[in-house]
Amino acid sequence: MKLGELFDKGEFVVTGEVGPVKGAIPRDENFVPPCVKEAEHLNGCVHAINVTDNQSAVMKLGSLAACVRLRKSGHEPIYQITCRDRNRIALQSELLTAFSLGVDNMLLLTGDHTNLGDHKEAKPVFDLDSVQLVRIAAALQAGKDMADNKLLNAPDFFIGAVVNPNFQPLDLQLMKMGKKVEAGTHFFQTQAVYDDRVVDEFVEKAAKFDRPVQLGVVLLKSPQMGAYMNKNVSGITVPQKWIDEIGSVDKGDRKKKAAEMMGRFIKKHKSKFQGVHIMPLGWSDVVPDILEQAEIRTRHN
Amino acid sequence: MHATIQKPIEEIVQFIRPGEKVFVIGCNNCAWKCHSGGEDETKAMAERLAKRGVDVVGYTVPGPQGMSLCKLDHTRKVLTQDYAGPVKKADSFLVLGCGQGVHTVIDATDGGMVHPGCDTIFGGETVSETEINEYCSLCGECIIEFTGGLCPMTLCAKSLLNGPCGGAENGKCEVDPDRDCGWIMIYERLSKLNRLDLLKPYQKPKNHAKWSRPRSLKVSPHEATFCSMGGKITVNNQD
Repeated sequence: MKLGELFDKGEFVVTGEVGPVKGAIPRDENFVPPCVKEAEHLNGCVHAINVTDNQSAVMKLGSLAACVRLRKSGHEPIYQITCRDRNRIALQSELLTAFSLGVDNMLLLTGDHTNLGDHKEAKPVFDLDSVQLVRIAAALQAGKDMADNKLLNAPDFFIGAVVNPNFQPLDLQLMKMGKKVEAGTHFFQTQAVYDDRVVDEFVEKAAKFDRPVQLGVVLLKSPQMGAYMNKNVSGITVPQKWIDEIGSVDKGDRKKKAAEMMGRFIKKHKSKFQGVHIMPLGWSDVVPDILEQAEIRTRHN
Repeated sequence: MHATIQKPIEEIVQFIRPGEKVFVIGCNNCAWKCHSGGEDETKAMAERLAKRGVDVVGYTVPGPQGMSLCKLDHTRKVLTQDYAGPVKKADSFLVLGCGQGVHTVIDATDGGMVHPGCDTIFGGETVSETEINEYCSLCGECIIEFTGGLCPMTLCAKSLLNGPCGGAENGKCEVDPDRDCGWIMIYERLSKLNRLDLLKPYQKPKNHAKWSRPRSLKVSPHEATFCSMGGKITVNNQD
Protein backbone atom coordinates (compact mmCIF):
# COMPACT_ATOMS: atom_id res chain seq x y z
CA MET A 1 0.00 0.00 0.00
CA LYS A 2 1.38 3.36 -0.99
CA LEU A 3 1.35 5.87 1.86
CA GLY A 4 -0.07 8.39 -0.59
CA GLU A 5 -3.44 6.72 -0.18
CA LEU A 6 -3.39 7.68 3.50
CA PHE A 7 -2.07 11.21 3.00
CA ASP A 8 -4.75 11.83 0.37
CA LYS A 9 -7.45 10.82 2.84
CA GLY A 10 -6.08 13.30 5.34
CA GLU A 11 -4.91 10.53 7.65
CA PHE A 12 -2.15 11.49 10.10
CA VAL A 13 0.51 9.03 8.95
CA VAL A 14 2.58 7.37 11.66
CA THR A 15 5.71 5.44 10.82
CA GLY A 16 8.34 3.67 12.87
CA GLU A 17 11.83 2.52 12.05
CA VAL A 18 13.93 -0.60 12.49
CA GLY A 19 17.52 -1.31 11.63
CA PRO A 20 18.80 -4.66 10.33
CA VAL A 21 21.63 -6.24 12.31
CA LYS A 22 25.09 -7.16 11.18
CA GLY A 23 24.55 -10.71 10.00
CA ALA A 24 22.66 -12.93 7.61
CA ILE A 25 19.18 -14.37 8.20
CA PRO A 26 19.66 -18.11 8.89
CA ARG A 27 17.82 -20.66 6.73
CA ASP A 28 15.88 -21.89 9.75
CA GLU A 29 12.21 -21.21 8.89
CA ASN A 30 11.46 -20.50 12.53
CA PHE A 31 14.10 -17.83 12.95
CA VAL A 32 12.65 -14.36 13.38
CA PRO A 33 15.13 -11.61 12.45
CA PRO A 34 15.64 -9.11 15.30
CA CYS A 35 14.25 -6.23 13.28
CA VAL A 36 11.07 -8.19 12.58
CA LYS A 37 10.79 -8.99 16.31
CA GLU A 38 11.13 -5.28 17.01
CA ALA A 39 8.44 -4.52 14.46
CA GLU A 40 5.97 -6.72 16.37
CA HIS A 41 5.76 -3.96 19.00
CA LEU A 42 4.58 -1.57 16.30
CA ASN A 43 1.65 -3.74 15.21
CA GLY A 44 -1.54 -1.77 14.94
CA CYS A 45 -0.05 1.56 15.94
CA VAL A 46 2.00 2.55 12.88
CA HIS A 47 1.07 2.61 9.23
CA ALA A 48 4.51 1.65 7.94
CA ILE A 49 8.06 0.98 9.08
CA ASN A 50 11.28 2.43 7.68
CA VAL A 51 14.17 0.01 7.28
CA THR A 52 17.59 1.67 7.34
CA ASP A 53 20.29 1.13 4.68
CA ASN A 54 23.71 0.46 6.23
CA GLN A 55 22.95 3.33 8.58
CA SER A 56 25.91 5.49 9.63
CA ALA A 57 27.90 3.67 6.96
CA VAL A 58 28.09 0.59 9.17
CA MET A 59 27.75 -2.59 7.08
CA LYS A 60 24.56 -4.48 7.94
CA LEU A 61 22.09 -6.89 6.41
CA GLY A 62 20.53 -5.17 3.41
CA SER A 63 17.47 -3.04 3.91
CA LEU A 64 15.71 -4.86 1.08
CA ALA A 65 16.03 -8.29 2.70
CA ALA A 66 14.59 -6.91 5.92
CA CYS A 67 11.77 -5.18 3.98
CA VAL A 68 10.79 -8.46 2.35
CA ARG A 69 10.72 -10.25 5.71
CA LEU A 70 8.68 -7.43 7.24
CA ARG A 71 6.13 -7.73 4.44
CA LYS A 72 5.98 -11.45 4.97
CA SER A 73 5.13 -10.76 8.60
CA GLY A 74 2.30 -8.41 7.64
CA HIS A 75 4.05 -5.04 8.01
CA GLU A 76 4.29 -2.25 5.44
CA PRO A 77 7.97 -1.47 4.86
CA ILE A 78 9.53 1.79 3.67
CA TYR A 79 12.73 0.91 1.83
CA GLN A 80 15.52 3.35 2.64
CA ILE A 81 18.16 3.58 -0.06
CA THR A 82 21.23 5.80 -0.02
CA CYS A 83 23.58 7.09 -2.69
CA ARG A 84 26.68 6.15 -0.73
CA ASP A 85 27.26 2.54 -1.75
CA ARG A 86 25.85 2.17 -5.27
CA ASN A 87 26.32 3.77 -8.67
CA ARG A 88 23.42 4.83 -10.92
CA ILE A 89 23.14 1.42 -12.54
CA ALA A 90 22.80 -0.34 -9.19
CA LEU A 91 20.44 2.32 -7.80
CA GLN A 92 17.99 2.04 -10.69
CA SER A 93 18.20 -1.72 -10.54
CA GLU A 94 17.57 -1.69 -6.78
CA LEU A 95 14.45 0.44 -7.19
CA LEU A 96 13.06 -1.94 -9.80
CA THR A 97 14.01 -4.90 -7.62
CA ALA A 98 12.43 -3.46 -4.48
CA PHE A 99 9.15 -2.78 -6.24
CA SER A 100 9.24 -6.25 -7.78
CA LEU A 101 9.66 -7.79 -4.32
CA GLY A 102 6.51 -6.07 -3.11
CA VAL A 103 7.82 -2.81 -1.66
CA ASP A 104 5.59 0.18 -2.40
CA ASN A 105 7.28 2.97 -0.45
CA MET A 106 10.84 4.27 -0.74
CA LEU A 107 12.89 6.86 1.10
CA LEU A 108 15.73 8.19 -1.08
CA LEU A 109 18.68 9.65 0.82
CA THR A 110 22.21 10.91 0.27
CA GLY A 111 23.57 8.70 3.04
CA ASP A 112 26.10 9.16 5.82
CA HIS A 113 29.69 9.38 4.62
CA THR A 114 31.84 6.23 4.60
CA ASN A 115 34.18 8.01 6.96
CA LEU A 116 31.60 7.73 9.78
CA GLY A 117 31.27 3.97 9.65
CA ASP A 118 33.23 0.81 10.22
CA HIS A 119 34.71 0.53 6.72
CA LYS A 120 36.48 3.86 6.51
CA GLU A 121 38.65 2.86 3.57
CA ALA A 122 35.72 1.97 1.35
CA LYS A 123 35.13 4.03 -1.78
CA PRO A 124 32.30 6.48 -1.16
CA VAL A 125 30.25 6.17 -4.34
CA PHE A 126 27.82 9.17 -4.41
CA ASP A 127 27.48 8.74 -8.17
CA LEU A 128 24.10 10.42 -7.73
CA ASP A 129 22.86 12.85 -5.13
CA SER A 130 19.41 12.57 -3.55
CA VAL A 131 17.82 15.11 -5.92
CA GLN A 132 19.08 13.21 -8.97
CA LEU A 133 17.95 9.92 -7.43
CA VAL A 134 14.42 11.24 -6.88
CA ARG A 135 14.29 12.47 -10.46
CA ILE A 136 15.44 9.10 -11.73
CA ALA A 137 12.92 7.25 -9.56
CA ALA A 138 10.18 9.43 -11.03
CA ALA A 139 11.49 8.65 -14.52
CA LEU A 140 11.39 4.91 -13.81
CA GLN A 141 7.78 5.32 -12.73
CA ALA A 142 7.10 7.05 -16.02
CA GLY A 143 8.53 4.03 -17.81
CA LYS A 144 12.06 5.05 -18.73
CA ASP A 145 15.50 4.63 -17.20
CA MET A 146 17.85 7.57 -16.91
CA ALA A 147 19.52 6.74 -20.21
CA ASP A 148 16.08 7.17 -21.78
CA ASN A 149 15.56 3.47 -22.46
CA LYS A 150 11.99 2.19 -22.23
CA LEU A 151 11.21 -0.20 -19.38
CA LEU A 152 9.30 -3.38 -20.05
CA ASN A 153 7.18 -2.72 -16.96
CA ALA A 154 7.28 0.47 -14.94
CA PRO A 155 7.34 0.34 -11.15
CA ASP A 156 4.76 2.31 -9.20
CA PHE A 157 5.99 3.45 -5.82
CA PHE A 158 5.58 6.31 -3.39
CA ILE A 159 8.73 8.41 -3.25
CA GLY A 160 9.97 9.93 -0.02
CA ALA A 161 12.92 12.17 0.76
CA VAL A 162 14.46 13.72 3.86
CA VAL A 163 14.88 17.30 5.02
CA ASN A 164 16.79 18.52 8.07
CA PRO A 165 15.08 21.39 9.90
CA ASN A 166 18.15 21.76 12.15
CA PHE A 167 20.38 22.72 9.21
CA GLN A 168 21.79 26.24 9.24
CA PRO A 169 21.42 28.20 7.06
CA LEU A 170 17.88 26.78 6.81
CA ASP A 171 17.25 28.54 3.49
CA LEU A 172 19.98 26.45 1.86
CA GLN A 173 18.41 23.19 3.08
CA LEU A 174 15.02 24.44 1.86
CA MET A 175 16.51 25.30 -1.54
CA LYS A 176 17.43 21.64 -1.81
CA MET A 177 13.99 20.60 -0.53
CA GLY A 178 12.51 22.65 -3.36
CA LYS A 179 14.70 20.81 -5.84
CA LYS A 180 13.53 17.49 -4.41
CA VAL A 181 9.90 18.60 -4.82
CA GLU A 182 10.55 19.61 -8.45
CA ALA A 183 12.30 16.29 -9.04
CA GLY A 184 9.17 14.39 -8.00
CA THR A 185 9.21 13.72 -4.25
CA HIS A 186 5.82 12.68 -2.94
CA PHE A 187 6.43 13.09 0.80
CA PHE A 188 9.10 14.10 3.31
CA GLN A 189 10.35 12.83 6.63
CA THR A 190 12.37 15.28 8.70
CA GLN A 191 15.61 14.49 10.47
CA ALA A 192 15.12 14.35 14.23
CA VAL A 193 14.15 17.63 15.85
CA TYR A 194 14.07 18.46 19.58
CA ASP A 195 13.79 22.24 19.52
CA ASP A 196 10.38 23.99 19.39
CA ARG A 197 11.76 27.06 17.62
CA VAL A 198 13.43 24.90 14.96
CA VAL A 199 10.11 23.17 14.31
CA ASP A 200 8.20 26.42 14.00
CA GLU A 201 10.69 28.13 11.70
CA PHE A 202 10.80 25.06 9.46
CA VAL A 203 7.01 24.68 9.27
CA GLU A 204 6.57 28.30 8.30
CA LYS A 205 9.18 28.21 5.54
CA ALA A 206 8.38 24.75 4.14
CA ALA A 207 4.62 25.38 3.82
CA LYS A 208 5.07 26.66 0.27
CA PHE A 209 6.13 23.20 -0.98
CA ASP A 210 2.72 21.66 -0.47
CA ARG A 211 3.91 18.12 0.15
CA PRO A 212 3.04 15.95 3.16
CA VAL A 213 5.73 16.17 5.81
CA GLN A 214 6.20 13.82 8.74
CA LEU A 215 7.92 15.22 11.84
CA GLY A 216 10.90 13.02 12.57
CA VAL A 217 11.73 12.24 16.20
CA VAL A 218 14.47 10.10 17.75
CA LEU A 219 13.71 8.64 21.17
CA LEU A 220 16.14 10.03 23.73
CA LYS A 221 16.97 7.00 25.86
CA SER A 222 19.63 8.39 28.20
CA PRO A 223 21.73 11.49 28.86
CA GLN A 224 24.74 9.62 27.47
CA MET A 225 22.87 9.03 24.25
CA GLY A 226 22.14 12.74 23.99
CA ALA A 227 25.80 13.58 24.48
CA TYR A 228 26.81 10.87 22.01
CA MET A 229 24.43 12.11 19.34
CA ASN A 230 25.64 15.67 19.75
CA LYS A 231 29.21 14.50 19.29
CA ASN A 232 28.85 11.79 16.66
CA VAL A 233 25.60 11.82 14.77
CA SER A 234 25.51 14.24 11.90
CA GLY A 235 22.64 16.67 11.65
CA ILE A 236 21.04 16.08 15.07
CA THR A 237 21.29 18.45 18.03
CA VAL A 238 19.90 17.48 21.43
CA PRO A 239 19.30 20.51 23.70
CA GLN A 240 20.69 20.37 27.23
CA LYS A 241 17.22 20.53 28.82
CA TRP A 242 16.29 17.24 27.14
CA ILE A 243 19.53 15.63 28.36
CA ASP A 244 18.87 16.93 31.87
CA GLU A 245 15.28 15.72 31.92
CA ILE A 246 16.06 12.14 30.81
CA GLY A 247 18.96 12.15 33.25
CA SER A 248 16.67 13.18 36.13
CA VAL A 249 15.18 9.66 36.54
CA ASP A 250 16.65 6.30 37.54
CA LYS A 251 17.65 3.89 34.77
CA GLY A 252 14.62 1.75 35.50
CA ASP A 253 12.26 4.64 34.81
CA ARG A 254 13.90 5.82 31.62
CA LYS A 255 11.59 4.08 29.15
CA LYS A 256 8.58 5.71 30.75
CA LYS A 257 10.28 9.10 30.91
CA ALA A 258 11.50 8.85 27.31
CA ALA A 259 7.99 8.06 26.11
CA GLU A 260 6.57 10.92 28.14
CA MET A 261 9.07 13.45 26.74
CA MET A 262 8.61 12.29 23.17
CA GLY A 263 4.82 12.10 23.50
CA ARG A 264 4.69 15.62 24.88
CA PHE A 265 6.80 17.00 22.06
CA ILE A 266 4.78 15.26 19.36
CA LYS A 267 1.47 16.34 20.89
CA LYS A 268 2.66 19.93 20.92
CA HIS A 269 3.58 19.97 17.22
CA LYS A 270 1.43 17.32 15.53
CA SER A 271 -1.10 19.76 14.13
CA LYS A 272 1.65 21.40 12.07
CA PHE A 273 2.51 18.18 10.19
CA GLN A 274 0.83 15.47 8.13
CA GLY A 275 2.36 12.69 10.17
CA VAL A 276 5.12 11.64 12.53
CA HIS A 277 8.11 9.38 11.94
CA ILE A 278 9.36 7.77 15.15
CA MET A 279 12.90 6.39 15.38
CA PRO A 280 12.94 4.36 18.61
CA LEU A 281 16.50 3.00 18.20
CA GLY A 282 15.61 -0.45 19.46
CA TRP A 283 12.96 0.62 22.00
CA SER A 284 10.05 -0.10 19.67
CA ASP A 285 8.12 -1.45 22.68
CA VAL A 286 7.82 2.14 23.88
CA VAL A 287 6.15 3.43 20.69
CA PRO A 288 2.55 2.57 21.70
CA ASP A 289 3.09 4.56 24.92
CA ILE A 290 4.55 7.51 22.98
CA LEU A 291 1.53 7.60 20.70
CA GLU A 292 -0.83 7.38 23.63
CA GLN A 293 0.90 10.32 25.35
CA ALA A 294 0.75 12.22 22.05
CA GLU A 295 -2.94 11.35 21.76
CA ILE A 296 -2.50 9.76 18.35
CA ARG A 297 -4.61 6.84 17.28
CA THR A 298 -4.12 5.28 13.88
CA ARG A 299 -7.25 3.96 12.18
CA HIS A 300 -5.12 1.10 11.00
CA ASN A 301 -6.21 -2.40 10.05
CA MET B 1 49.86 22.96 -10.11
CA HIS B 2 50.50 19.34 -9.19
CA ALA B 3 51.14 18.96 -5.51
CA THR B 4 53.69 16.29 -4.64
CA ILE B 5 55.23 15.02 -1.46
CA GLN B 6 58.42 13.01 -1.29
CA LYS B 7 58.14 9.35 -0.49
CA PRO B 8 59.91 8.38 2.72
CA ILE B 9 63.62 7.83 2.00
CA GLU B 10 63.42 4.28 3.36
CA GLU B 11 60.83 3.45 0.70
CA ILE B 12 62.90 5.03 -2.08
CA VAL B 13 66.03 3.15 -1.04
CA GLN B 14 64.07 -0.13 -1.26
CA PHE B 15 63.36 0.59 -4.94
CA ILE B 16 67.08 0.60 -5.76
CA ARG B 17 68.91 -2.67 -6.23
CA PRO B 18 72.47 -3.22 -5.05
CA GLY B 19 74.95 -1.80 -7.56
CA GLU B 20 72.27 0.13 -9.46
CA LYS B 21 73.54 3.47 -10.79
CA VAL B 22 70.99 6.22 -10.25
CA PHE B 23 70.56 9.66 -11.80
CA VAL B 24 68.36 11.97 -9.70
CA ILE B 25 66.16 14.42 -11.59
CA GLY B 26 63.82 16.97 -10.03
CA CYS B 27 61.38 19.56 -11.30
CA ASN B 28 61.90 23.29 -10.99
CA ASN B 29 58.22 24.18 -11.15
CA CYS B 30 55.54 22.41 -9.10
CA ALA B 31 57.95 20.21 -7.15
CA TRP B 32 60.06 23.27 -6.37
CA LYS B 33 56.98 24.99 -4.87
CA CYS B 34 56.22 21.86 -2.85
CA HIS B 35 59.83 21.52 -1.68
CA SER B 36 59.73 17.95 -2.94
CA GLY B 37 61.93 18.20 -6.01
CA GLY B 38 63.36 21.66 -6.51
CA GLU B 39 67.08 22.41 -6.81
CA ASP B 40 67.77 22.14 -3.09
CA GLU B 41 65.75 18.99 -2.58
CA THR B 42 67.25 17.28 -5.60
CA LYS B 43 70.81 18.02 -4.45
CA ALA B 44 69.89 16.87 -0.92
CA MET B 45 68.34 13.64 -2.25
CA ALA B 46 71.52 12.84 -4.18
CA GLU B 47 73.52 13.29 -0.97
CA ARG B 48 71.07 11.35 1.21
CA LEU B 49 71.08 8.42 -1.20
CA ALA B 50 74.86 8.42 -1.44
CA LYS B 51 75.05 8.43 2.37
CA ARG B 52 72.92 5.28 2.30
CA GLY B 53 75.21 3.54 -0.11
CA VAL B 54 73.43 4.26 -3.40
CA ASP B 55 75.66 4.88 -6.42
CA VAL B 56 74.41 8.30 -7.57
CA VAL B 57 75.95 9.14 -10.95
CA GLY B 58 74.51 12.63 -11.20
CA TYR B 59 71.60 14.94 -10.54
CA THR B 60 69.89 17.97 -12.01
CA VAL B 61 66.78 20.05 -12.12
CA PRO B 62 65.97 21.13 -15.66
CA GLY B 63 66.05 24.89 -15.13
CA PRO B 64 65.31 27.74 -14.97
CA GLN B 65 62.90 28.21 -12.04
CA GLY B 66 59.39 27.79 -13.34
CA MET B 67 60.40 25.26 -16.00
CA SER B 68 58.37 22.10 -15.70
CA LEU B 69 59.92 18.65 -15.90
CA CYS B 70 56.84 17.59 -17.85
CA LYS B 71 57.80 19.65 -20.89
CA LEU B 72 59.20 16.76 -22.97
CA ASP B 73 61.36 18.58 -25.52
CA HIS B 74 63.21 20.49 -22.83
CA THR B 75 63.71 17.50 -20.54
CA ARG B 76 64.87 15.41 -23.48
CA LYS B 77 67.47 18.04 -24.37
CA VAL B 78 68.72 18.23 -20.77
CA LEU B 79 69.07 14.47 -20.40
CA THR B 80 70.37 13.56 -23.85
CA GLN B 81 72.60 16.56 -24.44
CA ASP B 82 73.43 18.66 -21.37
CA TYR B 83 73.86 15.65 -19.09
CA ALA B 84 74.59 13.00 -21.70
CA GLY B 85 77.67 11.77 -19.88
CA PRO B 86 76.24 10.86 -16.48
CA VAL B 87 72.92 9.79 -18.03
CA LYS B 88 74.73 7.23 -20.20
CA LYS B 89 76.19 5.68 -17.04
CA ALA B 90 72.82 5.56 -15.26
CA ASP B 91 70.82 2.34 -14.87
CA SER B 92 67.79 4.28 -13.65
CA PHE B 93 66.32 7.69 -12.88
CA LEU B 94 64.90 8.69 -9.53
CA VAL B 95 62.33 11.35 -10.37
CA LEU B 96 61.43 14.03 -7.84
CA GLY B 97 58.34 15.32 -9.53
CA CYS B 98 54.77 14.37 -10.27
CA GLY B 99 53.65 11.29 -12.17
CA GLN B 100 53.50 13.33 -15.37
CA GLY B 101 57.14 14.18 -14.82
CA VAL B 102 58.03 10.53 -14.31
CA HIS B 103 56.43 9.63 -17.61
CA THR B 104 58.21 12.51 -19.31
CA VAL B 105 61.53 11.01 -18.20
CA ILE B 106 60.48 7.65 -19.69
CA ASP B 107 59.73 9.41 -22.99
CA ALA B 108 62.85 11.59 -22.85
CA THR B 109 65.14 8.61 -22.34
CA ASP B 110 63.34 6.36 -24.81
CA GLY B 111 62.12 3.94 -22.18
CA GLY B 112 64.67 4.38 -19.39
CA MET B 113 64.03 2.73 -16.02
CA VAL B 114 62.39 5.13 -13.59
CA HIS B 115 61.64 5.25 -9.86
CA PRO B 116 59.01 7.64 -8.48
CA GLY B 117 60.51 9.70 -5.68
CA CYS B 118 57.22 11.40 -4.84
CA ASP B 119 53.56 10.72 -4.37
CA THR B 120 51.44 12.98 -6.57
CA ILE B 121 48.58 14.08 -4.44
CA PHE B 122 46.37 16.74 -6.01
CA GLY B 123 46.11 19.77 -8.28
CA GLY B 124 46.28 22.87 -6.13
CA GLU B 125 46.42 26.60 -5.67
CA THR B 126 49.65 27.97 -4.23
CA VAL B 127 48.02 30.12 -1.58
CA SER B 128 51.33 31.09 0.00
CA GLU B 129 54.90 29.87 0.27
CA THR B 130 53.78 27.38 2.90
CA GLU B 131 50.29 26.43 1.86
CA ILE B 132 48.89 24.63 -1.16
CA ASN B 133 45.19 23.75 -1.25
CA GLU B 134 43.05 21.67 -3.53
CA TYR B 135 40.16 23.46 -5.19
CA CYS B 136 39.72 21.49 -8.40
CA SER B 137 39.30 17.76 -9.03
CA LEU B 138 40.06 17.90 -12.74
CA CYS B 139 36.75 16.27 -13.56
CA GLY B 140 36.50 17.63 -17.09
CA GLU B 141 32.96 18.97 -16.67
CA CYS B 142 33.10 22.29 -14.87
CA ILE B 143 29.89 23.57 -13.24
CA ILE B 144 31.39 26.23 -11.02
CA GLU B 145 29.56 28.94 -12.98
CA PHE B 146 26.58 27.86 -10.86
CA THR B 147 28.43 27.77 -7.55
CA GLY B 148 30.30 31.06 -7.56
CA GLY B 149 33.56 29.49 -8.68
CA LEU B 150 33.73 27.08 -5.73
CA CYS B 151 33.75 23.46 -6.81
CA PRO B 152 31.29 21.14 -5.03
CA MET B 153 33.05 18.06 -6.45
CA THR B 154 36.12 19.13 -4.51
CA LEU B 155 34.80 21.01 -1.49
CA CYS B 156 31.84 18.72 -0.68
CA ALA B 157 32.94 15.43 0.88
CA LYS B 158 30.17 13.64 -1.02
CA SER B 159 30.62 15.64 -4.25
CA LEU B 160 26.94 16.56 -4.19
CA LEU B 161 25.84 18.82 -7.00
CA ASN B 162 22.39 20.03 -5.95
CA GLY B 163 22.97 21.33 -2.48
CA PRO B 164 24.12 20.06 0.91
CA CYS B 165 23.23 16.87 2.70
CA GLY B 166 21.67 17.19 6.14
CA GLY B 167 24.82 16.36 8.04
CA ALA B 168 26.58 19.71 8.52
CA GLU B 169 26.71 21.20 11.99
CA ASN B 170 27.94 24.67 12.94
CA GLY B 171 28.97 25.11 9.34
CA LYS B 172 31.25 22.06 9.48
CA CYS B 173 31.11 18.88 7.40
CA GLU B 174 29.87 15.68 9.08
CA VAL B 175 33.13 14.02 8.08
CA ASP B 176 35.44 16.36 10.01
CA PRO B 177 34.53 19.03 12.56
CA ASP B 178 37.47 21.12 11.34
CA ARG B 179 36.32 21.08 7.75
CA ASP B 180 33.91 23.68 6.41
CA CYS B 181 30.81 22.40 4.64
CA GLY B 182 31.48 23.03 0.95
CA TRP B 183 27.87 23.86 0.24
CA ILE B 184 27.64 26.40 3.03
CA MET B 185 30.75 28.07 1.59
CA ILE B 186 29.09 28.15 -1.83
CA TYR B 187 25.87 29.53 -0.37
CA GLU B 188 27.65 32.25 1.62
CA ARG B 189 29.67 33.31 -1.38
CA LEU B 190 26.64 33.47 -3.68
CA SER B 191 24.70 35.38 -1.00
CA LYS B 192 27.50 37.94 -0.83
CA LEU B 193 27.49 38.22 -4.63
CA ASN B 194 23.70 38.45 -4.62
CA ARG B 195 23.54 35.53 -7.04
CA LEU B 196 21.60 32.83 -5.16
CA ASP B 197 19.58 32.44 -8.36
CA LEU B 198 22.51 30.43 -9.72
CA LEU B 199 21.63 27.59 -7.34
CA LYS B 200 18.16 27.12 -8.82
CA PRO B 201 18.88 25.00 -11.94
CA TYR B 202 18.91 21.24 -11.53
CA GLN B 203 22.44 19.88 -11.92
CA LYS B 204 22.37 16.59 -13.73
CA PRO B 205 24.46 13.59 -12.72
CA LYS B 206 28.18 13.75 -13.47
CA ASN B 207 29.45 12.31 -16.71
CA HIS B 208 32.14 10.06 -15.30
CA ALA B 209 33.20 9.11 -18.79
CA LYS B 210 34.77 12.59 -19.03
CA TRP B 211 36.73 11.84 -15.86
CA SER B 212 38.03 8.49 -16.97
CA ARG B 213 41.73 8.11 -17.43
CA PRO B 214 43.84 8.53 -19.43
CA ARG B 215 42.56 11.59 -21.26
CA SER B 216 44.26 13.67 -23.92
CA LEU B 217 44.10 17.11 -25.44
CA LYS B 218 45.02 17.93 -29.03
CA VAL B 219 45.78 21.61 -29.45
CA SER B 220 46.41 24.17 -32.15
CA PRO B 221 46.21 27.96 -32.16
CA HIS B 222 42.64 27.74 -33.47
CA GLU B 223 41.00 24.88 -31.70
CA ALA B 224 41.37 22.14 -29.15
CA THR B 225 39.99 18.62 -28.94
CA PHE B 226 39.47 16.91 -25.59
CA CYS B 227 39.49 13.12 -25.84
CA SER B 228 38.10 10.86 -23.13
CA MET B 229 35.84 7.85 -22.81
CA GLY B 230 33.06 10.42 -23.06
CA GLY B 231 34.01 11.06 -26.67
CA LYS B 232 35.80 13.86 -28.50
CA ILE B 233 34.91 17.48 -27.91
CA THR B 234 36.37 20.13 -30.22
CA VAL B 235 36.17 23.78 -29.30
CA ASN B 236 37.13 26.67 -31.55
CA ASN B 237 38.89 29.41 -29.65
CA GLN B 238 38.98 32.06 -32.33
CA ASP B 239 35.47 32.55 -33.79
